[in-house]
Amino acid sequence: MGKYSLFLHSSFLKTIFTISFFLLLFISSISYNHTKSLKILTELLVHSYKIQIQLEQLLSYVKDAETGQRGYIITNDSTFLDPYIRGREKVNKSFIVLKELIKNQPKQQANLQELRHLIDARFIRLANSLASISAYGTTQLLGENMVKGKEIMDSIRSLINQMIDLEISYFNSHQAKYNREISFTPFITLLLLLFSLLIIILSFLKINQDLNNLKDSNEKLLITTESIKHAEIIGEFCTSIWDMKANKLIYSDNLYRLLGCEPQSFEPTIDNYLEFIHPDDKSIISRGARDILFNHDTYPHFYRVIRKDDKQRYFQSMGKFIGNSTHISVIKDVTEAHLSSLVLEERNRELEQSNKELAYFNQIASHDLQEPLRKIQTFISLLTTKESSALSEVGKDYFSRIQTSANRMRKLIDDLLLFSRTNKIDKSFEETDLNLILKNVLLELSTSIEEKRADIKSDLLPVLKVIPFQIYQLFQNLISNSLKYSKPDVLPFINFNCEKITAKSYPILKTSSNNVYYKISVKDNGLGFEQQYAEKIFTIFKRLHTSAEYPGTGMGLSICKKIVENHSGFIFAEGWPGIGSVFTIFLPAE
Amino acid sequence: MQQESIYVLLADDDEDDRLFFKEAFDSIKIKTIVKTVNDGVELMDYLTQSKNKLPHILFLDLNMPRKSGMECLLDIKHLEYLNDVAIAIYSTSASEQDIEDAFVKGANVYIKKPNDIEKLKNLLEEVITMNWHYQTSGLNRDGFLLSL
Repeated sequence: MGKYSLFLHSSFLKTIFTISFFLLLFISSISYNHTKSLKILTELLVHSYKIQIQLEQLLSYVKDAETGQRGYIITNDSTFLDPYIRGREKVNKSFIVLKELIKNQPKQQANLQELRHLIDARFIRLANSLASISAYGTTQLLGENMVKGKEIMDSIRSLINQMIDLEISYFNSHQAKYNREISFTPFITLLLLLFSLLIIILSFLKINQDLNNLKDSNEKLLITTESIKHAEIIGEFCTSIWDMKANKLIYSDNLYRLLGCEPQSFEPTIDNYLEFIHPDDKSIISRGARDILFNHDTYPHFYRVIRKDDKQRYFQSMGKFIGNSTHISVIKDVTEAHLSSLVLEERNRELEQSNKELAYFNQIASHDLQEPLRKIQTFISLLTTKESSALSEVGKDYFSRIQTSANRMRKLIDDLLLFSRTNKIDKSFEETDLNLILKNVLLELSTSIEEKRADIKSDLLPVLKVIPFQIYQLFQNLISNSLKYSKPDVLPFINFNCEKITAKSYPILKTSSNNVYYKISVKDNGLGFEQQYAEKIFTIFKRLHTSAEYPGTGMGLSICKKIVENHSGFIFAEGWPGIGSVFTIFLPAE
Repeated sequence: MQQESIYVLLADDDEDDRLFFKEAFDSIKIKTIVKTVNDGVELMDYLTQSKNKLPHILFLDLNMPRKSGMECLLDIKHLEYLNDVAIAIYSTSASEQDIEDAFVKGANVYIKKPNDIEKLKNLLEEVITMNWHYQTSGLNRDGFLLSL
């Protein structure tokens, strides 16, 4: 899942957007409330002013009426009475307006009621004054009336002032209330706005980073896709992706190429693919497809296809389910491998046959060839023991020569058999103490060792996993060899030297340099040989001396080489004519 | 008192080998009666006829037509009255497989046919003078293959 954590989780994104959404909603509602409060406050202010103006106007109407009447009294000009007459009318109108304005304010209503009484009383006084003037002229009564009128006028003025103050205090109390409400609004709004902004910026940065990651991933994907396409061409394979839910197949370009077609040159369907399958193998594909679709079971297939150019190819496919409804097949053109494995099988069969023939030859050599030879030898021995008196000296010599030849032939057959039997097959490797083997060999050869008065010494040899009788044969052959080719006038000396080495200090070993070997050198002071023959002496039947000088079949060292090779080891020879020779064996320590 | 002759029977299809066998016994000082049969079938016929005297030692070639030495060995080991007959395998082959088979099937000794009449004489001498009580225990694998 590591790959997906590069990107913002969709739930995280949702959370951020939900928070932002609710924050904005909150901010909007706060703003709305704020605006609403402001509007109410404004309305209140207007309302309050209207009342104040109306009250002031009311006072001025009363004053106008009073002034007009006063003018009339002084000048007796009736035009001065106009304001007085209209004043009554205006006052009434003003009252209607005020009544409407203060309908929700009981205290002001009471005040207005009182004001009405006072103003009515004032107008009555005015009317009385006017009446007394028209009846009696300027009199004591008028003066009294005017004093009274002035008192009422003062009450009116004071009441109006009272009402205005009340209105102002009303307004102030409202204003204080709303101010409290809206004073925090700008601060909270700003804070929330900044917070939203921060979240949005962070989200943006994260989304931007995700987009960049996505871009990188896309690039990588593109490279991967291209390299797969390339690999498909080089590796001669192709892929088929089957979306079983949508029943849709996608064939890679190389699938078409492997069928000898242009990429995407036909619709990718199983039926179209079946067109290319060898008639005898069509059932493999259709059965496989059924098992994938209905049994959710996929397994490798091997089948033949006939390409567009009518060439037959061998395909091998391996399937895999991805999730429940997607199946991927990797199909490989295995024609080359298949054909070469057929050739290899044929070779193996031939080899097996020739091995059988060889085994049969061994059987012939061991039994059928030895049988007549044994009889010849036995008859010779019969003749020499029972009939030798009947033979001339020359005849006896001839018989002796026949016997020598027969013996040599027996030795050849025996060695040949030994050589052919020196195989790794069926031979078991056992932990063996090589010192013990050497001891047994020396025991076996004790007669000839004593005869030659040879001195044989050895370092401590290792315990190794070997085929015991083969190592026995190896030591026996090497010691016999040294004894045979010893100098006639010098007592033979043979030394076994042993050390553990790594291959890197011996470049002559064609093997991995870290391999560890036991190096066992067998050194003698015999006749030695020219270094140029160092490799030839291991060749079968190759001899450096005639049979007359040194009897032998020329197989002893070939057998040695074969034994060492059976043990994954190496053998080398070094010779110095007249000085001696060293045979070096490398046996793997593991 | 004259010692009883040792009765020796050889089953071998090879005329020359039968000749060598007889020649060798002729020159052995010990008193023996040697009889030969030409193959496995003839051998079994001889052994199953009650009138015939049972040999002390039976020399059995392995490679014979009609019925091989191994088959004879199996049959003989199934016949209780032949339990006392010592069986010496007398063969050209000395393959590990044959030696192992013969030992497992109950032969007492295994002789590889030598290529010298003197060696043959010595081997046969050793076989007939062998301590058969020891040799028939069927446990002594080491001395099973007799060689000189």
